[in-house]
Amino acid sequence: MSTSTLYNVRFAGMATCVPKTTLSNLTDCNPQLRSQRERLVRNIGIEFRRINQPWQCFSDLAFDAAEKLLESLDWERQEIDALIVVTQSPDYLAPATAIILQDRLGLSTSTIAFDVNLGCSGYPFGLHLLGAMIAAGGVKKGLLLVGDKSATVDGTLFSDAGTATALEFSEQAPPMFFDLNSDGSGFRAILLPVGGGREPVNISHLVPFRRNEHDEWRSSAALILDGPAVLSFSTTTVPPAVCKLLEYAQVPMHEVDYFVFHQANRMINETIRKRLGLPEEKVPSTLRDFGNTSGASLPVTMTVRLRESLEAKANRVLLSGFGIGLSWGTCLVDIEGACFPALVES
Amino acid sequence: MKAQRFIENFLMATDFQKPVEVTLDSEIRNLPEWDSLAALGVIVMFNTEYNQVIDGNHIHNAVTVNDLFLLLA
Repeated sequence: MSTSTLYNVRFAGMATCVPKTTLSNLTDCNPQLRSQRERLVRNIGIEFRRINQPWQCFSDLAFDAAEKLLESLDWERQEIDALIVVTQSPDYLAPATAIILQDRLGLSTSTIAFDVNLGCSGYPFGLHLLGAMIAAGGVKKGLLLVGDKSATVDGTLFSDAGTATALEFSEQAPPMFFDLNSDGSGFRAILLPVGGGREPVNISHLVPFRRNEHDEWRSSAALILDGPAVLSFSTTTVPPAVCKLLEYAQVPMHEVDYFVFHQANRMINETIRKRLGLPEEKVPSTLRDFGNTSGASLPVTMTVRLRESLEAKANRVLLSGFGIGLSWGTCLVDIEGACFPALVES
Repeated sequence: MKAQRFIENFLMATDFQKPVEVTLDSEIRNLPEWDSLAALGVIVMFNTEYNQVIDGNHIHNAVTVNDLFLLLA
């Protein structure tokens, strides 16, 4: 399928919630690591990250974002026909977090609610999935909740966030264009190896280890990330995907107001921007202040950097998510008159 | 000239904290601060400075800086 168009789907609003607790990659670490960290921050572009309280789940952030959005939109909860949660940080392995949130948010039991297991690429996929349900005619209003709890104190890349997006049926809505792709041959590039059916958790996974006294403590249950493979995948896949979608939509690059890319790290994002020849002012970034917030990074960046512009006038926005899977999705959305409440911190 | 420019770009891309002398004969894994971040920098350098895509395998297979230099098309 890859490319597709959705009609009669209006982008009604978006809200983002991040934890209050901020970690600095420069100062919240062993002082002996300061010099290494300065070099790291210079290159990956991430200085601050947000981290959940130990008791806080991704769904708690998504819940607060959804509450804020529903309140701002003044939507009746009984009107919401679908609730899709895109996360790799569910409350439980089962049941789906979306079903638990249906009840917490006070939505009707006639709401369609389910989870989608996608990470950094997830936002365009979620938008397409909910949008397709609305375009088909049965669902009139729906919520898409996207994000993850992936920050760790010792990590330097990931940051926590939960987001809510509202879509509704409208015959006046401009078309939305999508290009969605998957390549499982690269699944080992970003892998959480332990805890699933292939390798269930056992006690040995819980024993931390380090290679030498200067190394940071690690866990064999932690995420494995093949940096060079991810860099090569992102910088070779994303620029042609953007060009392909614009060609499909017959929209010249200069007619796009903003290009919002998944906030991976500065090396990846700057390479993509330069390959596409895009000016910095059209490519907003939240890497320095919010790090890599997985699938939430597109909404985080739209809320933090673009909300005033998005509320003030009509904008054509290209969104690009890419990462774990491997998986990458691009969409082109015209946004006008949508509701963008200020960033929520909880 | 081209080799000298490559070494300058290599040093910028790797962003080592302490000054280090690098020649084409330098073995990359013996450079004191060579690490995964430096490897990423080199991949980006090929992409943005030389419009050429290399991946982790190219870095893995290279022993010296000259091995990387020879990857230039």
